[in-house]
Amino acid sequence: MDNKELAERLREIAGKDYVLTSDMDRMLYSYDASLEKAIPDVVVLPNSTEEVSKIMSLAYREKIPILGRGSGTNLTGGSIPVKGGIVVHFSRMNRILEIDIPNRTATVEPGVITLDLQTEVLKKGFIYQPDPASQKVSTIGGNIAENSGGPHCLKYGVTSNHILGLEVVLNDGTVIWTGGKSRDNPGYDLAGLFVGSEGTLGLVTKAILKLERAPETIKTMLAIYETIEDGANTVSAIIAEGIVPATLEMMDNPVMRAVEETIKVGYPLDAAAVLIIELDGMPEGMDEKAQKIMEICKQNNVREVKLAKDDAERDLLWAGRKGAFGAVGQVRPSYLCCDGTVPRTKLPEVLNKVMDISKKYDVPIGNVFHAGDGNLHPLIMFDERNKDELKRVLKASTDILKACVDVGGTISGEHGVGLEKLKETSFIFCENDIEFERHIKKAFDPDDFINPGKMIPEPVCEQ
Amino acid sequence: MAQFTETVEKLVSIVGKEHVKTEPDDLATHAVDNLKPKAVVFPKDTQQVSKVVELASRENLAIVPRGSGSKMSMGNPPKRLDLVVCTSRMNHMIDVDTSNLTITVEAGVKFRDIQARLATEEDRCYLPLGDLTSQADEAICSDRSHSGCFLPIDPPFSDIATIGGIIATNSTGPRRLLYNLPRDMILGVRLVAPSGLIAGAGGKTVKNVSGYDTSKLMAGSLGTLGIMCEMTFRLLPLPEKMATLLLSFESFSDASKVAKQIFDTTLLPAAVEVMNGATFTAMNIKDAPGFEPGEYVVVVAFEAFQEAVDRMRSEIKKMGLDLGAKSDASLDDASHQRFWLAVSELEGMLARKFSGLVCAKLNYRISEWEDVYNFCQKVLSDSKIDYSLQAHAGSGICLLRLLIAESDGETTEAAARALEKMLQKSVEAGGNLVIQRAPASAKGKLRMWGELSPDFIVMRRLKEQLDTSGIMSPGRFVGGL
Repeated sequence: MDNKELAERLREIAGKDYVLTSDMDRMLYSYDASLEKAIPDVVVLPNSTEEVSKIMSLAYREKIPILGRGSGTNLTGGSIPVKGGIVVHFSRMNRILEIDIPNRTATVEPGVITLDLQTEVLKKGFIYQPDPASQKVSTIGGNIAENSGGPHCLKYGVTSNHILGLEVVLNDGTVIWTGGKSRDNPGYDLAGLFVGSEGTLGLVTKAILKLERAPETIKTMLAIYETIEDGANTVSAIIAEGIVPATLEMMDNPVMRAVEETIKVGYPLDAAAVLIIELDGMPEGMDEKAQKIMEICKQNNVREVKLAKDDAERDLLWAGRKGAFGAVGQVRPSYLCCDGTVPRTKLPEVLNKVMDISKKYDVPIGNVFHAGDGNLHPLIMFDERNKDELKRVLKASTDILKACVDVGGTISGEHGVGLEKLKETSFIFCENDIEFERHIKKAFDPDDFINPGKMIPEPVCEQ
Repeated sequence: MAQFTETVEKLVSIVGKEHVKTEPDDLATHAVDNLKPKAVVFPKDTQQVSKVVELASRENLAIVPRGSGSKMSMGNPPKRLDLVVCTSRMNHMIDVDTSNLTITVEAGVKFRDIQARLATEEDRCYLPLGDLTSQADEAICSDRSHSGCFLPIDPPFSDIATIGGIIATNSTGPRRLLYNLPRDMILGVRLVAPSGLIAGAGGKTVKNVSGYDTSKLMAGSLGTLGIMCEMTFRLLPLPEKMATLLLSFESFSDASKVAKQIFDTTLLPAAVEVMNGATFTAMNIKDAPGFEPGEYVVVVAFEAFQEAVDRMRSEIKKMGLDLGAKSDASLDDASHQRFWLAVSELEGMLARKFSGLVCAKLNYRISEWEDVYNFCQKVLSDSKIDYSLQAHAGSGICLLRLLIAESDGETTEAAARALEKMLQKSVEAGGNLVIQRAPASAKGKLRMWGELSPDFIVMRRLKEQLDTSGIMSPGRFVGGL
């Protein structure tokens, strides 16, 4: 089937306004937030599960590569159509279908923006916990595909801990529900498997999410340190004290500088790191714990630690963290965000290695990271037009991931393998591990046409 | 048979002579639903499991994995059985990293040994153990001074169950309300696939999106996709204060109102159980001498900062008394632990007393729990079978135990009819009914896994893809997988 006929058939399914074929349109779907690029043959914007099912059936019969796309914020090339074919853009399927407070669930379509859902449920006194930094633009469908994290994972877990049920369009167009509003449905935990599968097993068309009561109280603290080690040691000491904060976020000096150059929240430019600590839950006992945390900060040589008195002060403490990526983006034309994750106590060691790598390849690296769960985000800053620099950046990135794995960590905490880290999977997996993954993939997609080329590296020598 | 003698020799060459049992007594004690294996094998590590499974795969031998055997009565009888592979020698704690709040253990490590290892020196432990000595070997460990944490799950049989068995059955307890399920605690797994190949996934970090989340697929798969050999979990610091509140009521409507009111507050109790009097009485609780159980008991667990526990306990007690609670009692610290251990051991205790015991787990939409509970009470009193009923209010789960002293044709028929009605009710309420224990003789009359769901087609594809010759626990799981 040629592309013209393919587009015609898709128009019959989704309507003529919702199939994009022009060079310009297709180019707009050729990139995401990674450095990868590839142009799809056609883009379709379905409006219902039925339409997605028909599109999938068509792709299945014709063996045309197909992949789902939300807002395209993927950081590892997961939404890049490397083998061409059909991009299914879920922007029209963005309805919050139901907020069911008695059952503590929300049922949504995959194109719903994460923050939109969170805003809606908060009006009713509830929260949907996973809060990736991109929540203003990222979609629930994308969060499910990548098992997104965010700052609250230490206490509340990742996306997979909050997904109860999924409606999925399988390879041949069959629509199934797995899981649901009730917990503990018998059988294999397919929803658990779909979450984090990077869109390689099927297309999610509806999701039932778990809601939790919004906490009665939130207390936010900001601590400023002369060395990164002191900050990282504070994090470990807080947890050793038996306190699990909702958030432990850190930024180092290069990132603080970028923030001050752009949004100006008043960080001292001679300090080495800032740590944001947030407690949530019932107010009883929380003042004492906040005091205890501030003592721990002092024991770990904090220069200054302050507690937000009200929401306005809290927002100010957060402004720098939330604006960090954007600020770095303004200071330098491009940055590559690594996503290595390590056991929390290994943070100081790995951060030192990151600094060495920065020197070795002569590329500036800023660190902004989820200290509580050991998820680093070294931002390697560069100018994409400088080809030599780009090469060094990619080498530095690989070295950083290797350093993470060497201390018992992994290559991706929340961004996924996608295209960008296919090579680095060999740091954590042997051929057997990958073979098992290939079996899983085959059970869902024996023809390898659903988001092909992602996550699972090709066998080293193919017969 | 001559052929199998050769197989036994091969097994001996893998695990050693003393770790392959073929005596009739051994085969009888390791029978699964009265089906005896031809041999029982005790591998010492993942490598040996891999070799045993590889052999089984080559010779088409059916395997059922086994931990301490506490949940062997789950599932359909196996279609065939050659080898029972026991994990009891695989009892090493591979990496106890309390400062990172993770632990990696082999499948045969007992749950109690994990909790004992993680307890503080002041004997604060997530189980009221007589002694804190752990039976498991410890290989590599981080600093012992960082301690005082726990694996936040409270499954049944917590005194004997192995971690492998708990995960393979995704076995849960009342405190899932606060802490979630075993599948939420598992971060990584190393398993032996049905081909014998050793495969790993996940790791030591809470966040990990590097490959499929195989741990989730394996959790609750009842040994049908392979044998989980090593697992990594996330831990939590032990709560500062632990306490339990008991409230008794004469009517279900009052008992359920309390549970409902708690659910509508912003309080964060660890568990809210609504049980009938028979359930409470069977546990034989000695720590609340003045407490009068009545027809229904609402039990609320608190595990939090001291001040938060004090507030929750006083507010919920007031709710109970306002609704006419007949009696109330508080259990602190050690007596709290003893109480929840009794809850965990209830099924085992009843199984010793009632040889025809049938246990079922009903799941449904959270908001329909009162309706389901009432329906069950009515069906069961009509059927004239004694029963214990325990709802995890707020989690959408209800545990039912039919107290059948000795199973005969007639009681089995009556139980099957009642269970079928309750299954239909659960399905209407968006869930299902899984029978977790039944005498082997009764299983033919019971739908062990309830109704098949539409996603079964994918489950079958997975099973066929991963276990091509169907040697792993054949037939025991959902839909005869």
